[in-house]
Amino acid sequence: MTTYLVRRLFQALVVLMLVSVVVFSFRWLLPGPALRRAYGSGRPVVFQYLAWVGHALHGNLGFSYVQGASVGSLLAASLPRTLALTLTATVLAIMVAIPVGLAQALIKGSVADAALRGVSYLGYAMPSFFLGSILILVFAVRLHWFGAEGPQAPGIVGVFTDWRDLTLPVLTLAIFTGAVFARYTRAAAIESLASDYVRTARGAGAGHRRVLVRHVLRNSLIPVITLAGLSLPQIFGGALIVESLFNIQGIGWRLWQAALKHDFPVMLGFILVIGVGAVVGSLLADIGYVIADPRVRFTRQ
Amino acid sequence: MWRAQRDTTPISPRPSAGQVRRRVTLCCAGLLTLAVAAAGCGGHTKSSVGNTPVNGGLATYALPANVTPNYIFPFSPGVDFTIVNLDNLQMLLYRPLYWFGDNGLPYLNEKLSLAAPPQYNGQVVTIRIKPNLKWSNGEPITARDVVFWMNMMKALAAKGDWGGYIQGDLPDDVTNIHAISQSAMQMTIIGKYSPQWFTSNQLSQITPMPKYWDRTGPSSPSDCTDRVSDCAAVFAYLNKLGADTGTWVTSPVWKVVDGPWQLTGYSQGVLTYTFNNKYSLPLPSKDHITKFREVPFTTEQAEYNQLQAGTGSNAIDVGYLPTVDAPVALPGKSVGQNPVPNYNLQPVYTWGLSYMPINFNVHDPQLAIFSQQYIRQALQLLVNQAAIIQGPLHGYGEPSTGLVGDTPPTAYLSKQARRGGLFSFSPPEARKLLADHGWNVHRGSVTTCGSPSIGPGHCGKGINRGAALNFTMMYATGNAWVESAILQLQSNASLVGMNITLSSGTFNDIVGKAIGDCGPHQNQPCNWQLADWGEGWSYVPDYLPTGDELFGTHSIGNIGQYTNKHNDGLIKATIQASNRNAFLQTMYKWQDWLAPQVPVLLQPTAPAALFESVDNLKIGTQSPTLALTPEDWYFVR
Repeated sequence: MTTYLVRRLFQALVVLMLVSVVVFSFRWLLPGPALRRAYGSGRPVVFQYLAWVGHALHGNLGFSYVQGASVGSLLAASLPRTLALTLTATVLAIMVAIPVGLAQALIKGSVADAALRGVSYLGYAMPSFFLGSILILVFAVRLHWFGAEGPQAPGIVGVFTDWRDLTLPVLTLAIFTGAVFARYTRAAAIESLASDYVRTARGAGAGHRRVLVRHVLRNSLIPVITLAGLSLPQIFGGALIVESLFNIQGIGWRLWQAALKHDFPVMLGFILVIGVGAVVGSLLADIGYVIADPRVRFTRQ
Repeated sequence: MWRAQRDTTPISPRPSAGQVRRRVTLCCAGLLTLAVAAAGCGGHTKSSVGNTPVNGGLATYALPANVTPNYIFPFSPGVDFTIVNLDNLQMLLYRPLYWFGDNGLPYLNEKLSLAAPPQYNGQVVTIRIKPNLKWSNGEPITARDVVFWMNMMKALAAKGDWGGYIQGDLPDDVTNIHAISQSAMQMTIIGKYSPQWFTSNQLSQITPMPKYWDRTGPSSPSDCTDRVSDCAAVFAYLNKLGADTGTWVTSPVWKVVDGPWQLTGYSQGVLTYTFNNKYSLPLPSKDHITKFREVPFTTEQAEYNQLQAGTGSNAIDVGYLPTVDAPVALPGKSVGQNPVPNYNLQPVYTWGLSYMPINFNVHDPQLAIFSQQYIRQALQLLVNQAAIIQGPLHGYGEPSTGLVGDTPPTAYLSKQARRGGLFSFSPPEARKLLADHGWNVHRGSVTTCGSPSIGPGHCGKGINRGAALNFTMMYATGNAWVESAILQLQSNASLVGMNITLSSGTFNDIVGKAIGDCGPHQNQPCNWQLADWGEGWSYVPDYLPTGDELFGTHSIGNIGQYTNKHNDGLIKATIQASNRNAFLQTMYKWQDWLAPQVPVLLQPTAPAALFESVDNLKIGTQSPTLALTPEDWYFVR
């Protein structure tokens, strides 16, 4: 396993380097010599690249004249909000979806299963702007239970502690994600329950709970881990529609605005960070995959 | 200044509250029944508000969606010369020499100006700063502060470092700028100009700058006030500081203000202002708010949600209603039933002209067609302004009747324009105009020229037999009403066989394409004949609608490149008129001559914003110049 992880880590580093090279090369497409000259156009490209990487590693991703702020400060303002929103929503979705999916597999074909399937279809099919609008109308405008906009406090602590404002955007995102996760968990659990190893475990006298936790749940997690891994770029890239609807100036919204306003320093800086986040995220997902599924380990070896 | 409505693109169509409730019932009955039932029991109760003014308090103001100030130095380069920088930031802190906006009209407000009305003596203009005016650091506001700004203009305007620069205008049209005393300065005008025009369109742009700003670093004083050659370095320092939002609150430079507010907080796009106790111009009342906060929003929907739902410190005191959510205003009423309880609805219209430019560029393949006055008149006859106002604008809007802004109606508007537009919506008249000029009009198909010649009854010069009325129109997405209006125009045009192909883009893209010259030398195809970015031109900070910026040959705002020598002569006569009466008469003559020429297509003036202010905050009538004056606002109990 260690060999596999080291190899995977090395691959991730190579990908990270490629991402940085691609983003760096975008700089040469920028309009205006001032932007291109930022890292010394008189020097060889390799040195310019190294200088740029050095600046990036120190948090210097350039300056946005459209926003009147450094890209690093914009990132620092946006990232906590996006992470708070997307990470909380993903964790919440997983926490709800796995037990629900598992339970549905156990009561497959029942009225309750059909009802839960209907609800998950609804959550899956409902566009997030529509769902968010309903939640705002009911719980913010009418009942005043929660805020109509996301947390506006600076910093990750301020964002996470503002549960009143964090609730509705997280719910909006989590309902969709949870519905997807629940459907995959249900399907995987049904497959596991009918598999030979579960029958064998039961035949060997394993208790119902042990079978469920050790064999069914563990195997049902694999597609969820895959899905969570695939959604990691989104976690770093933000959720544009939910961010826009809930007045969250997160990564997704800022990137979209940068594209509309031709704010190239922000676009490149944010793309680099999203790329790095996606690579790191997929590495973590791979590690989780290996832990959950021993077959992967053996196959790789 | 180019103007876009405050509306921004909704990411998705937002259903009305009623539609949302119906969909809730249909789609999610099981899921949300309990919550909806509970919601039905909720709602606002009418608060009771007294009439006793309160001194102090914090008012929260919603910035236009998707926009935040990004430049604080009131000598903005072109890219930062925007309404949001001017009105939502700079003018709160730094007052212009002459303030325009008086009782809802865009006239000179002597009371709120830093200087007495200028005195003209031949070519020499004398400006006298009012006595006892002070900067917040205790230093007096002097004539040298005006000279400082003028010198910076002399040094940098032509290089594009000041967004308001127009070749031939300030500072090119003045010389011999100097202070004659602590409170008075003089300059000599080059050329002949009407005093009205010079005050309203030239001196109106000046913002005195404090001596403290005359430096090239935190501890490096300079002397731009006396030496123009020093100004470039001073500008470089202030420009860098002004563009970096991180310095706005911390730098001592921006703490020196002469306006009623000081910026005391900037975080996550939220600007917090504290009342400047050393503000020395008169206030309407001793009771006013002492803190003011501007908060940003990603979209209009987000702002509207917060407006309805906000409570406590998150509540918006002054926000705006998206047009799509606006209650329909019945004819004769300025507003409909306000959907936000405990708030007052006030439409605010910008002092400007709302129009669609026509492309007269010599490389426009349809130039021959658009050179025909009757074609332009026919197009104007197909713009149904009343339907646009009653339809997508929900009753909020004013028809544009002439080539001088008519919202609000001012003394600058001729009698003819006051009576209404020359070309009210009439497809039959448009059809007749075309048919009378030799076109074979095909409803629903494409009208073609059947009589290609010059003179009465013929299509006109340069138009060949079979030439078709095919036009391309580009428009900015993001304003729901604009898209509806454009589709309506396309439909109306098809009634007379005009085929309008639409292309869309963002506001920046469309304005960029329209302003960017086209043709083989410019490396940009001339493939548009009409454009619409939602509004048109705002007469701020050059308040007289004399046409020298919009319709003169080579005018900066004449993006369609309309050109006519007689028109140029009339504009010149206007801005050179010797007194107010002569000025108005020549201006009427100019606009009455130009209106039937149809150099642009007029469209309704949409509200810049439908302001919503909470019941217990009195904000008065908002200025058509869009300048915010929160120092006039006060809470009541």
